[in-house]
Amino acid sequence: MNDDETESEGEIRASVELASEDAPSSPGSSGYIGEGGSTSATTGSQFEIEHEEIEEDTTIAMDRISISDSHTSWIAGKRHFDEDDGSISWRKRKKHFFVLSHSGKPIYSRYGDEHRLAGFSATLQAIISFVENGGDSVKLVKAGRHQVIFLVKGPIYLVCISSTEEPYESLRGQLELIYGQMLVILTKSINRCFEKNPKFDMTPLLGGTEIVFSSLIHSFSWNPATFLHAYTCLPLAYATRQAAGAILQDVADSGVLFAILMCRHKVISLVGAQKASLHPDDMLLLANFVMSSESFRTSESFSPICLPRYNPSAFLYAYIHYFDADTYLMLLTTNSDAFYHLKDCRIRVENVLLKSCVLSEVQRSLLNGGMHVEDLPPISHSGSSHLGQHMLPSDSPDRFREANSGIGGPAGLWHFIYRSIYLDQYVSSEFPSSINTPQLQKRLYRAYEKLFASMHDKGTGPHKTQFRRDENYVLLCWVTQDFELYAAFDPLADKALAIKTCNHVCQWIKDVENEIFLLGASPFSW
Amino acid sequence: MGVSLNESIQLCMFDLRRGQNEGQELDKILFFFPADLPFSKQLSVIGLSEGLITFTRIFSPEAACEVIEAERHSHVFHEAEPDIWMVMLVEKSNDSEPIWRDDALRKVLKEIPSLFVMFHGSVRAMLEKEPGGGLARRHLYSFIMDYLRDFLAGRKLLLPSFRDCLKERGTVQMLTIGREAAIEVQSLVRVLESSAGNTLCHSLILFQDLLVSTTLSPDDTVNLFTYAVLRLTPHALSSGSSSWSYLRKGSTASNVATEFNMAHPNSMSDSFYGTSDISSGEDNHYHVVRPLQGDKWSKGKDGYLVTDLWGAEIGTWVFATPTVWLQQTGEKMYLCVYQHRSLTLMLMIPVSAVPNGEQGVSEVRQQIIENASLKILKVEEKLSKGWGGENAYHVGGYRYLLVDGDRNISRASPATKVTTLTKESLLAMNKLRQEVELEKSRAKLDGCNFEKDLEMCIRTKNNAWVISRVTRGKELHMVLEKANETLLYASDAIQKFSDRYCDGAFSLD
Repeated sequence: MNDDETESEGEIRASVELASEDAPSSPGSSGYIGEGGSTSATTGSQFEIEHEEIEEDTTIAMDRISISDSHTSWIAGKRHFDEDDGSISWRKRKKHFFVLSHSGKPIYSRYGDEHRLAGFSATLQAIISFVENGGDSVKLVKAGRHQVIFLVKGPIYLVCISSTEEPYESLRGQLELIYGQMLVILTKSINRCFEKNPKFDMTPLLGGTEIVFSSLIHSFSWNPATFLHAYTCLPLAYATRQAAGAILQDVADSGVLFAILMCRHKVISLVGAQKASLHPDDMLLLANFVMSSESFRTSESFSPICLPRYNPSAFLYAYIHYFDADTYLMLLTTNSDAFYHLKDCRIRVENVLLKSCVLSEVQRSLLNGGMHVEDLPPISHSGSSHLGQHMLPSDSPDRFREANSGIGGPAGLWHFIYRSIYLDQYVSSEFPSSINTPQLQKRLYRAYEKLFASMHDKGTGPHKTQFRRDENYVLLCWVTQDFELYAAFDPLADKALAIKTCNHVCQWIKDVENEIFLLGASPFSW
Repeated sequence: MGVSLNESIQLCMFDLRRGQNEGQELDKILFFFPADLPFSKQLSVIGLSEGLITFTRIFSPEAACEVIEAERHSHVFHEAEPDIWMVMLVEKSNDSEPIWRDDALRKVLKEIPSLFVMFHGSVRAMLEKEPGGGLARRHLYSFIMDYLRDFLAGRKLLLPSFRDCLKERGTVQMLTIGREAAIEVQSLVRVLESSAGNTLCHSLILFQDLLVSTTLSPDDTVNLFTYAVLRLTPHALSSGSSSWSYLRKGSTASNVATEFNMAHPNSMSDSFYGTSDISSGEDNHYHVVRPLQGDKWSKGKDGYLVTDLWGAEIGTWVFATPTVWLQQTGEKMYLCVYQHRSLTLMLMIPVSAVPNGEQGVSEVRQQIIENASLKILKVEEKLSKGWGGENAYHVGGYRYLLVDGDRNISRASPATKVTTLTKESLLAMNKLRQEVELEKSRAKLDGCNFEKDLEMCIRTKNNAWVISRVTRGKELHMVLEKANETLLYASDAIQKFSDRYCDGAFSLD
């Protein structure tokens, strides 16, 4: 027994030394270098600005097609293919994600060529199994501003190495989502391959899906759904959403498990067959899968997909069709022969959507955006309020907004997120011009992430109220049985006024809730 | 029973420069608790630690591994001297949520080597003096075991837990004194420090377990203050009596605990750490001074505290005067301690300035008695009169901790008052402090001289307010139970406290 332990001790040290060698031709990875070199040109995009996302993490890339909330463009897909653990630039990347098999074989790496990271992957495996051999399992290692987070899912190991200031819980949640995304593509039956052959190489099975993972990882820095575990709706007039919901309900009754109509990452309407419930995380992963794969845009498709929260072991079949560049319909079924039936359903849906002008309303909503803090009705305001009023071009609110935009909303309000607990939905206000760059938006996103983790602490939470002031913001959070409100103010904001404004935001949301949320017909049965 | 309990706390020190060749790994180990743990297990802990130090340096060359969190254990790291690391491994209780703060445990890890260096000089120097490592191992073993004994409650080691979230190890607690008393104290200090002629001496004065005056650097002050409260003050001398100081063990049962097995380690490690002779106080190879050994100080007739810990002068029955190394100047000093009732005076005289050794020191002692006795009486009387007792710093309705990081000073609600808080509130405060530590350490890593300004107020699940406020290097943490639920009430409470007790240092807006 003693011998065993000293042996594994030697092992871990040996591989650590291996990984820390500067020479890229470390013995552990040399075997793959030739292969890696020959394939790198096919997937790597070469037009990267050097130092991007290193240290300063300046350029936040955004997918112009899929993401409306930002103004810059994001280049999807694998980057920095020529890097490995010997590269200084690789070591300085702010956030790495790795997926490897329990035998230490690389499956996915956010940066660099997986094959050239074989030695590094073996080190990660050694750390995990060393702790496992001691009857424990490693969760987190902290060093300076870096955190290394480990997640073991059967034969699949996931690791994040991050110097972002995100809390452990958030980063761990991101690893869970990456694992979930893998299940969307492969289902849990992948475990059986490892049972048969521990040295099974999974990379071919994920071939061509790098873009799905990079887009998911990208969403960890802009999409609140990734930590709120809720989805968001495109703002629409109640009647418009009703019209969409009615036709979806109609097709759902004909043997469709879920019918989902979405615009980019926002839900227009969705309907589930009786007793079938769709978890917000599944929606996030499904939408990400569909939006990041270019092929779905060009033609109607019928594709096997797995919803990990619904059933991680089985494939469903998804019929996917884009009505225009932004709006797409997903019809999910358990029946692998249902393509023609679903195609008929889609035609019916399309006819109704066109007839009732839903698609043009969707485009209009996209243009107008959602809730603007500048539009928060004055405190004395009472009675009904409509989102549409503030957005109608004839009211020319744009000029007003322009004049006001430097300061955000009243009392220094910059932004808010409201999450309805029983609807599993959230609404996030548009960014004011004081938070108009991707960097500033990401910083605010990360501040919310921290606040969320702090409020929902596993041991002591959920707390009721939190006030937090630092050099960047005043943040207020309010958690009740029905909703959670996260609001960001100017750091110099007056506390009493900020509290009043938060109450006011809640009232405003109540006033317009049938436009910003999908009400009734909730498929969530819990 | 012992085995699993025995392993619930492990503490080790190892040197990355040693034992790099296969078969010589044992050479790395400088200290391991419990010593009777099989070497294979000791090496396994050290192997993992070493592996992760190397691994984390790939990404974070400037700050290597600080913590490993596993499902069942936490490993807390501290680099005591370059390449000399200490790791504490603590087992989590069943509910797997840690009940301590990494930072609080790291403060323990920091305190051990800084006290060690004060008495023995650096570990590296000892290793260079005797490359075999025996000298260092023997010193470390007796020193750390003596240190750990203070955490013993029954047969268990109690380490700082969430119940200690309103305390700050590694800081000094001050006595607040009026202007008049301050002048008296100052004049006493002048007399004390001039007792050795023209030699530059240093002094430290305590009243009870509180600091009254110091002429040492902040770091040296903390070390000597800590030692005084552990071994020298009237409370420490009458060991067994309760103290409100965090430095002496509490009695809360929920602290991190382990079985403290003082039984002799197996014969292998016995010879390795040279533990066989320690209990008898004799040593075959080296004379090991054990400054932290308990019950070894007593008050002599002349008012000076005496101890045989430093041995006797050769050929005489005169106990040798203790010596300490000052961190700031690197100077070796004689330490003379005089006590009158609640007042403890420590005088540090440079060894180099006293050519005739013990005789010279005793002349200085005599001088002090002659010159300062009256002043000592007067100061003691004055301080006793103004002293509000153990609850002097209690503020009704508040449970607080106030830390001045720049000066290593803290003040807190009396422990007896803190224990009235519910477990939920304490856990929430503990967690909040962890968040604040994180923010502070990040601001520090960012390097710029920018000082973190932060305000956090949380209304917890159990309707308490837990509040942290950091500004200009000062910190205020407080728990308010049974308080109004509006945020403005909480702000108002901070404001009032800040105005009244902190010269408005934490005032908002």
